[in-house]
Amino acid sequence: MTGEDAPAGGVALADVRVEFAARDSDGPVVAVDGVTQEIPARGFVSVVGPSGCGKSTLLSVIAGLRTATSGKVEIGGRTVSGPDRDVGVMFQEDSTLPWKNVTDNVRFPLQIAHVSRTEQAERAQDAIDLVGLGGFERRYPAELSGGMRQRVALARTLAMRPSVLLMDEPFAALDQQTRLLLGAEVRRIWGETHQTVLFVTHDISEAILLSQQVWVMSYRPGTIIDVVDVDLPEDRDSAVVATPRFNELQNRIWESLRTESMRGFAQENQVRA
Amino acid sequence: MSVRAPEAASRTAGRAAARRPRGRRRPGSGLASAGATVALIVIAGVVAEAGARGGWWAPDVLPAPSDILPATAQIVGSAEFWPDAVRTGMELVLSCVFGVAAGLLVGLGFWKAPGVGRVFEPYLVSFYAVPLVLFYPISIVLIGINQWSVIVLASVMTAIPMTLNTWMGLRAVPPVYLKLAASIRCSRAQTLFRVALPAAAPYVFAGLRLGVVYALIGTVAMEFTTAQAGLGYQIRYLYESFDAVGMYAYILVIVAISVLLTAVLEIAERLLMRRRNA
Repeated sequence: MTGEDAPAGGVALADVRVEFAARDSDGPVVAVDGVTQEIPARGFVSVVGPSGCGKSTLLSVIAGLRTATSGKVEIGGRTVSGPDRDVGVMFQEDSTLPWKNVTDNVRFPLQIAHVSRTEQAERAQDAIDLVGLGGFERRYPAELSGGMRQRVALARTLAMRPSVLLMDEPFAALDQQTRLLLGAEVRRIWGETHQTVLFVTHDISEAILLSQQVWVMSYRPGTIIDVVDVDLPEDRDSAVVATPRFNELQNRIWESLRTESMRGFAQENQVRA
Repeated sequence: MSVRAPEAASRTAGRAAARRPRGRRRPGSGLASAGATVALIVIAGVVAEAGARGGWWAPDVLPAPSDILPATAQIVGSAEFWPDAVRTGMELVLSCVFGVAAGLLVGLGFWKAPGVGRVFEPYLVSFYAVPLVLFYPISIVLIGINQWSVIVLASVMTAIPMTLNTWMGLRAVPPVYLKLAASIRCSRAQTLFRVALPAAAPYVFAGLRLGVVYALIGTVAMEFTTAQAGLGYQIRYLYESFDAVGMYAYILVIVAISVLLTAVLEIAERLLMRRRNA
């Protein structure tokens, strides 16, 4: 963020399986199964899938917030055994702390990590400027819009200067315009800081627009059913949506997803009936 | 990425919006409510004065404010007043401290062990309906006729709303705050003191305000029923010796204490929560 790149850290998943104890049915629910994938260092990968397919679960496992039932997760060659300050997580829900102003929200993880005061101030300011919140340092979350609060959350994650950034549908609760703008910001910031990014979304065009590779996940058990390389220009903007190649990619992902979404829909309804 | 132009525009718009003060009270609304309060007190005073002087009711029932106010000033200025006031004050302060501490701890325990909380919640809730003053004889047997039996019961009364509100507040902490705390590797103490409790603060504050009021009610009521000293005891003593003016003077003192406590808590809460719910 001050010009230097974050240290590289690729993510490697080997046969990751996650089971939940089911409340009503017999036997555990398999949320994620047999996921063997790799995100190269400084790569940008999106995961798309129907709701309830386990993509957030997969992200929690990589974040060390949840342990896999079996399989192995490595970041930068080290096995993940718990949360790591080198891995930044951004959540879908508003996670700004309402009793702290923007600067204090962004500084919070730095305080917890015992970063020196001067460095806290410097890093927080850098991150705030990077996400375009300059001028709002003394504002409180209640005084900001939903999109701005997600910017605060993004700045807070970036201030830790993680080498891996995990984003769990960070803009899903926002309106379409704000989502497009923030997506563009994420892409620009990634261009400057070069973290390894895993971006979970249910929005196919968001996934294509932002990432280098898209993983398509099936409904339960969540497995990766397709890996699509996004061979669009690196320096793309939202106009790329109108190109034939974008359409082809979108169609391919939608084809794989459609059957899965229908299957998920049917199963959810069956459970309810 | 070159889609920044509309973004920049929206940023400028956002900045303009941010300058607009949001959620502030209209200037003058505080003044208006203070004015209304003063007017109400004055009207009530005038009616009471007219009633007592005009013979609408016997002067023993409600003496004229012009008798009560000087009597109050005289009593507060006298040497006999202070030992009772200090005793009641000590009981009140200690009940608040013990009750609040106990409520915080138990609420926290219930949160950490939800099963235990679910077992005890119905009892705590129904305790609200039980006049705890009834247990005064028991506490006299256990503790004796001294200020500690008052303090123990008043503490229990304070602890109940404090426990329930602390627990409710902690349960209402958005799970994402706890996920955040875990992801940045907060210790258990940090998660509690820097994330969970501040997030629960509005509930805890509501519990505190209830608890302090309960402490006052408990203290005065128990002094009134059985104790041998304290402001509550004085009210009862004066009542039994038909000194209506003196009794009302003491009642006025206690009302003043309760107004003062409520105001202090209200101001503290406003300062602490200032911009949180703008």
